[in-house]
Amino acid sequence: MSTRPRVVPLRSRATRSRRPRALLEPVTTRSERPEGPLVSLARLAQTAAQGLSWANLARLQRAVYFAWHSDEVDEFGSDRRFTETLLPLFEFLYTVWWRVETAGIEHVPAEGPGLVVVNHSGVLPYDGLMVKLALRQEHPARRDCRMLALDMFALLPVLAPLLAKSGSVRANPENGERLLTKGELVGVFPEGVKGVGKAFRDRYKLARFGRGGFVRIALRTGAPIVPCAVVGAEEIHPMLANLDWIGRPLGFPYFPITPTFPALGPLGLVPLPSKWSIDFADPMDLSSYGPEAAEDPILVNRLSEEVRSIIQRMIDGRLARRRSVWFG
Amino acid sequence: MGRIAVTGTSSFLGSRILRRLVEARGADAVVTVDIAAPPVALGGVRHQMLDLTLPGADQRLLDVLQDEEVDTVVHAAFFTSPRRDFAYAHELESIGTLHLVAAAAAAGVRHVVLRSYTAVYGARGQNPNFLTEDRRPEVNPSLRWVRDKLEAEQHALAFAKRYPSMGVTILRFATILGSGVHTFYSRILAKRVVPVVFGYDPLVQFLHPEDALAAVDAALAKGPSGIVNVVPRDTLSLRTALHLAEKVTVPVPHPAAYALADLAWNSGIGPAPAGFVDYVRFLFVADGEKAKREMGWTARYRSREALGAYLAYRYPEVGA
Repeated sequence: MSTRPRVVPLRSRATRSRRPRALLEPVTTRSERPEGPLVSLARLAQTAAQGLSWANLARLQRAVYFAWHSDEVDEFGSDRRFTETLLPLFEFLYTVWWRVETAGIEHVPAEGPGLVVVNHSGVLPYDGLMVKLALRQEHPARRDCRMLALDMFALLPVLAPLLAKSGSVRANPENGERLLTKGELVGVFPEGVKGVGKAFRDRYKLARFGRGGFVRIALRTGAPIVPCAVVGAEEIHPMLANLDWIGRPLGFPYFPITPTFPALGPLGLVPLPSKWSIDFADPMDLSSYGPEAAEDPILVNRLSEEVRSIIQRMIDGRLARRRSVWFG
Repeated sequence: MGRIAVTGTSSFLGSRILRRLVEARGADAVVTVDIAAPPVALGGVRHQMLDLTLPGADQRLLDVLQDEEVDTVVHAAFFTSPRRDFAYAHELESIGTLHLVAAAAAAGVRHVVLRSYTAVYGARGQNPNFLTEDRRPEVNPSLRWVRDKLEAEQHALAFAKRYPSMGVTILRFATILGSGVHTFYSRILAKRVVPVVFGYDPLVQFLHPEDALAAVDAALAKGPSGIVNVVPRDTLSLRTALHLAEKVTVPVPHPAAYALADLAWNSGIGPAPAGFVDYVRFLFVADGEKAKREMGWTARYRSREALGAYLAYRYPEVGA
């Protein structure tokens, strides 16, 4: 065993004559030991720093963006590739998380316009997503339902482009009429904010149906109304209290306190796995009234009330048969 | 048939309209009314030097229109980008148009075609996805650039109402983007790093210059049609447009964006004052149905193609 200090050359003879080496170029000539993770990390950082430029950053951003967006959208901004990217997540929620069960889906017209009127609940608009998915996956004609999203969601940062790119449209009469005239299936939540942001103690009690705007667009376009009841969404974010004074400055009409939010932080945003059912009732054909009936407020209100009671009955029927919130 | 007078011939659209009219109808059929001679070498075009911002411009203009036997006016003297000397912009756009329509009405002009912008609808969260011509514009009053355009429209409509012999066509063009254009958007696209509003990605419309010119032709052929949107065949999301142009986008939360935009504008580096943040946050997409119905005109190009044509011309290194 030798105690003489060994002279280790900093550079091997072979590489000395060549161009000066970068500081952390891999040393292959004397690789008795594999390099440590720190050295690898430093090398990676160096490579990154060498390639760092605005042009590369722009190219990187572009590549990341177009990995899940296409460069074409339909006239309402729906992006097919974006929808397909998110679809597995939504399908997971549909089949595994909430185990959605549908009934009466054949009542939805297989072609031509239709207005699916749905009760709204759940703090965040997952119910719209699930109704859309039900019609896409389970309807014989695989219909694409354009959901009319409330302004509070359609104008919220992050959620706004997310909804538009996944096929939702801002809820207003012009948009609804345009879609129905084109023969599309449209989903609408006439309860609006009062429905989606209702307290847990008020669950499954339908709020007022706006001012009947949905009836008016159905009358004007002659589209049939399909009442639809979602049960299960009330329990995904049970709102125990509402601190709306926090929400309002952020552009949100309510700030929910649920058993998990904000106590568990971001984890509180995970919706609870209740068991869902989506029921569709017989379509109501309003075409016999004619488009001018849209100007008759009494009739509009009566029809709106009629749709509301059909949905309430469907909900009550489901609730009476439901044994458990989690298992149905 | 009388002559066609063209104003704003130094502007992108005005100069192209002029060239096209001269090519289609001959130099004698056209007269330019502007403070500067037309930039394109068009032999034989009559030029009348006139400053619309001067008091008495209406009287001068009346003489010119009568002398030249003008029966149609294409008014394109507008600023495509917001300006810091907004007082001058107001004199030219609002008051200048007032002078112009007053003189045109008095001179017995049959048809005034006014260049306007879909931006006059105002970019608002409450807008429907497609704005039709009967929608009442709701403009942020602090945006003088838009307010002046709207005032110009209102002057033209008021005079058309008062003098039934004179009809107007107000062409509300979507953002024109194509080879050679220099506007607010082309300035944004010239930057490497572009701030965007965090969490928002509105749809935008880019109009190809050839479509814009074809729409002017259609308006001249059809005669007065009131307000008409001139828009491309489809829309594009703003983020998509910026990434196609290989921009580095920096998201800025909207509460900060307005203040930062004004700060940048007031310090001379920003392209536009705070009110324009709305235009990159909300929709102002206009509907092209009326142009099709009444003027028989539809765009040939999509927004994507207009952007592509502009990028290919201006930034060939970007593979859009």
